[in-house]
Amino acid sequence: MPLIVDLVNPDLALMLPQLIVLGLAILLLVADIAVPKARHGVVLTWMALIGMGAALIANFTMVGTNESTFNGMFRADDFSVFINLVVLSGAILSIMVSSSYLEGHIEAGSMPLAEYYVLLSFSVLGTMIVGASGDLLMIFLGIEMSSLAVYALTGFARQRVSSLEGALKYFLLGLFASAILVYGMAWTYGATGSTNLNDIARSLSGVVTDGKVEASLLLALLLLIVGLGFKVAAVPFHMWTPDAYEGAPTPVSAYMSVIPKVAGFAAMTRILVQGLGPLRDEWVILIGVLAVITMAFGNIVAVSQRNVKRMLAYSSIGHTGYILAGLAAFETINPNGEISVASVLFYLFAYAFMNIGAFAIVTWLQARGSGTDLEDFAGLGSRSPLAALAMAVFMLSLMGLPPLVGFYGKYYVILATIEADMVWLAVAIVLASAVSAFFYLRVIATMYFSEPVRETPRTSTPLLGFGLVSMVAGTVLLGIFSSRVLDLASDWVQAFSVPI
Amino acid sequence: MNELSANHFLLLSAALFIIGMMGVLTRRNVIVIFMSVELMINAVNVAFIGFAWEQNSMIGQTFALFIIAVAAAESVLGLGIIMALSRRVDTVDVAAVRELRE
Repeated sequence: MPLIVDLVNPDLALMLPQLIVLGLAILLLVADIAVPKARHGVVLTWMALIGMGAALIANFTMVGTNESTFNGMFRADDFSVFINLVVLSGAILSIMVSSSYLEGHIEAGSMPLAEYYVLLSFSVLGTMIVGASGDLLMIFLGIEMSSLAVYALTGFARQRVSSLEGALKYFLLGLFASAILVYGMAWTYGATGSTNLNDIARSLSGVVTDGKVEASLLLALLLLIVGLGFKVAAVPFHMWTPDAYEGAPTPVSAYMSVIPKVAGFAAMTRILVQGLGPLRDEWVILIGVLAVITMAFGNIVAVSQRNVKRMLAYSSIGHTGYILAGLAAFETINPNGEISVASVLFYLFAYAFMNIGAFAIVTWLQARGSGTDLEDFAGLGSRSPLAALAMAVFMLSLMGLPPLVGFYGKYYVILATIEADMVWLAVAIVLASAVSAFFYLRVIATMYFSEPVRETPRTSTPLLGFGLVSMVAGTVLLGIFSSRVLDLASDWVQAFSVPI
Repeated sequence: MNELSANHFLLLSAALFIIGMMGVLTRRNVIVIFMSVELMINAVNVAFIGFAWEQNSMIGQTFALFIIAVAAAESVLGLGIIMALSRRVDTVDVAAVRELRE
């Protein structure tokens, strides 16, 4: 029995980045007890940063591998490497944003720092597992691990009702979505007889050549898309997003606007492209329509928001729409010139830098006693020019101005949709970006052309400042060197091209 | 029709799933919503066991065991959030918790 042999001798070297993050989470729990409380801030933050950095370095040694272990359940391939890259960079940036905020005791009665980093590490680990999964079971476990930790993080400021309210809504709708998702997995298993993604693709390729698809498969597809639609906050499954983002402590909003979304998109790509690729004709149109509704709704509703956190929540819904459009452009797993999934991966990487950056500026202001409304940004250009400049860069990048990374993200998605003969999607992206320019530019106008209402007190937040500098540099440099990143993302084809 | 077939499992599972879904969509008590979602998750378990029984394979049963474990973890977290919230606002009615609205 090859099964037993495989489980007794798993190739643990393939899981190195994941194992480092797991070790980090356990070490942080130990350090919570071993390190004196007064030194928690410095020691735990640096442990988390070094651990994530080590995992990121280990991840680079995995470039080019294409193997699986645990009986095909765990895969180390170019897709998982890129997802790890996005997730670990996002995690490092989030830790930098979080540290000053949490050490400054801005949230009264929040839980201690150690719990925060442990939950964050487990959520990162869950997302990495989704990226590296070769089986529906692993995708389910990874998504649950990722989101359960984030539900707890959302309710982190447990003395504040709005934080708990956001956590409750996120939790109930997330659980509802998980039930729908896993029901879709059950029907997929029933229709194909396997939960292994490659086996599913193999058994489907025979079914689809007849031109007719069974009703049970369509039901499975619909349930999977609805469940994952909740996880990535696609309209009409976005109801939890604004409340959860506004209620959560701002560094948590920064984190959860990126990493759980990456988990959702990794799962979507793994399931739809790798597993249900033969059903492409059925799901592409569903995802395309979902993309258009999502980007239209997110961007239009964001216009009327006065609270910057809520505005960024709706803008992140809009960005979900752009990424879905990249996925909808999928045609076949073709080594020459198929960039749909590459554009999705590139957009996720770009989005991590600019969106965490925008939330980081809100955190920066909150650390200086400011609120989160648009009025709190008034006159920031004269009060603290550097912070205003950073915010302007993030806003312009989210809007899609060249040569910033946000422009290239949209550019590759539009290129993919045009190559797939879906010009209507490309037009929708351009129109939605035009609408989004209104509320992104309004933030810049408020910062530079409004009279300051009050002074910004001087507070030292070195790590947050460093994080902001690296995010601005990332937003600019990734834009300039975007073709390098796209080349790395384009290797996804190797990961998914299985012999059928 | 007296013999047990996979269809019986699937009908039971679909019925449970729809009952749970209606509960989530129509009820306002947090605990009842929570119980309804648990019902949906158990409906999924029934479906998995049914398919595994039909195909005579162990994968479905293994999957169901994992779902049970995850559902237990979810209950712990969910009840924790509900406890923390009810200490603050002294209610389990979702409509009463409405601080975050534009």
